[in-house]
Amino acid sequence: MVSPIIDAAGIVKDYGSARALHGVSLQVGAGEFVALVGPSGCGKTTLLKILAGFEEPTDGRLEIEGKDMRGVPAASRPTRMVFQKLALFPHKTVADNIGFPLKLQKVPVAETNDRVRGMLDLMHLRPDYLQRYPAQLSGGEQQRVALARALVSRPGVLLLDEPMSALDAKLKKSLQAELKKLHRELGTSFVLVTHDLEEAMMLADRICVMHGGHVVQVGTPADIYYRPANMFVAGFIGETNFLPVDAVRAGNGAQVTSPLVPGAGAEIAAEHIAPSLSEKGTALLVRPESIRIVRNDATAAEWTLEGVVEEYFIKGSSTQYRIRVRGLEAAVIVDLAGSIVLPARVGETVRIGFDPTQAFLLSE
Amino acid sequence: MKIEVKSWKDPVLLAAVAPLAVVMIAFFLVPLVMTAVLTFQTTQYYRLAWSWDLKIWTEVFSKPHYWTIMLRTVVMALVCVAICIAIAFPAAYALATRLKTFKTQIQILIIFAFLTDAVLKTFGWILILDKNGVANWLLMHVGFPPDALNLLFTPAGTMIGMVYNLVAYPMFTIYLSLVRIDRDLVLAAYDAGASRLRTFFEVTLPLSRPGLYSGAVLVFVLSLGAFLEPKVLGGGTAPLASELIRQSFETRVNWPLGAALTMVLIVTGALMLGLSSAFALRRRSAPGRPA
Repeated sequence: MVSPIIDAAGIVKDYGSARALHGVSLQVGAGEFVALVGPSGCGKTTLLKILAGFEEPTDGRLEIEGKDMRGVPAASRPTRMVFQKLALFPHKTVADNIGFPLKLQKVPVAETNDRVRGMLDLMHLRPDYLQRYPAQLSGGEQQRVALARALVSRPGVLLLDEPMSALDAKLKKSLQAELKKLHRELGTSFVLVTHDLEEAMMLADRICVMHGGHVVQVGTPADIYYRPANMFVAGFIGETNFLPVDAVRAGNGAQVTSPLVPGAGAEIAAEHIAPSLSEKGTALLVRPESIRIVRNDATAAEWTLEGVVEEYFIKGSSTQYRIRVRGLEAAVIVDLAGSIVLPARVGETVRIGFDPTQAFLLSE
Repeated sequence: MKIEVKSWKDPVLLAAVAPLAVVMIAFFLVPLVMTAVLTFQTTQYYRLAWSWDLKIWTEVFSKPHYWTIMLRTVVMALVCVAICIAIAFPAAYALATRLKTFKTQIQILIIFAFLTDAVLKTFGWILILDKNGVANWLLMHVGFPPDALNLLFTPAGTMIGMVYNLVAYPMFTIYLSLVRIDRDLVLAAYDAGASRLRTFFEVTLPLSRPGLYSGAVLVFVLSLGAFLEPKVLGGGTAPLASELIRQSFETRVNWPLGAALTMVLIVTGALMLGLSSAFALRRRSAPGRPA
């Protein structure tokens, strides 16, 4: 990164005796779209509030646009926030809501009107909405007004606090697409907080996965999906499978064996091993889409397991199976390409197989 | 949840509203009409004489004495509203946004003070405001000349009592308005670049307007009918409308006059309320705007 627009180092935040952030570091490049992802209480919203200036960090250093932000109030920061519940002023018209930051900067009225109209165009809102009040708009329209208000003063960084969590699925999808387009057009840095890793993967250039006040992994969506740092990150992205294995380091790679697949061993290449791999609790991450149902055609490289079909869900493009395998606590999840003929029915005993060398070796 | 809108003819709804309707008609509407009817009668030898003329109204409109008292009552009520709001708003604001530690205790104290009988509280003020009372004693001990304050049996004494008895109403209504304001709206204003003061005037104050208006209306209406405070603390030096009406009924046994003065007070109050709500509505005329 040439010169990060946000440079946070060792941010600690205590609420009384409870520590919400344990020395979090994060850099956001100019024009980058970064998503902060994690379950409730992981500290992602706290970090966003510290960036916005609503909370002071207990310890650590925060620079935005090269300036130390210690003691700088929210009003004077080059950041603008889109709130989870939008926080549109109910007593101000759409025009007054969007124009509010400009009014505070004492921008001349004519210029303010032009820029407010410009934002309205950018957000595909009808010009006659200007004189309406937020309560007279739909959820999606309110969302656009909130974005317009945050962007009208051309901030260096746009902070988004789960702004789409209240919308229905279809509207969410279309706004996500618009948000991505907006980001590309404006070149402003975006920092999005979300608990939805799928949303983060769709939108962000880089994802910062947080858990219990720590940053667990920072990486591109591909990194997070294909090279998760540990089982938490791998499991957070969606339902997946972990096969407990014994791993012995061999050069850069590792030799793995599983008590569930007797007699079989596999050579895992270095790029299929998490850098944080430790001795304890090693497991193979096997994505549901990389497992198939084997009839009599198992290849030599494949590991196979026998199990009973517990349930299946037809999703259209794919069919998801849950298969109970003796010796495994959780049912194995298998995503098969959708087909007219069901490959297996509930209660049927099937053999499933996967290529262990294509799996990913990680630990807890 | 879907709420079914029913016709007013719905028998269940009518039955539900009936008891209240009966009470309101019997004890509000009928007495009001009776009062209005009374104003067109006269008295002879301390007895009511059914005459149906405008003699009483001619008297009311021709004597400036009555209008001085009416005007004084309205001015006192308006001043009382101003003082009550000036005291109640900061207190409610502190309770709603700042105070954390003793919040509940303070709320309980306010409610206790509010619920204590007004007669008791009003007489209590004599102990404080009297020439030899607590207020003067304290002032003397910090170096003021003796008898520095002479508030008992003055309009100022009346005002102190009225404010004390009424200030809790706007405190409650404003508090309720303030706690309903989403904290994020304040943060959004800061985020947009507003100072604390600017945020207060752009967000907090406009959004607490419903509580301000309802509190002001309550204080105004109750002040118009103030009876106890001018009598006990004002000492009858500057009587207000309620005292005038009492005298007409009791001392002069002139019921038509008392009824006419009552009507004047009611109409004045209703006019002021109509004007202020028209003003409030004009400022919030947008359709569908949340109150």
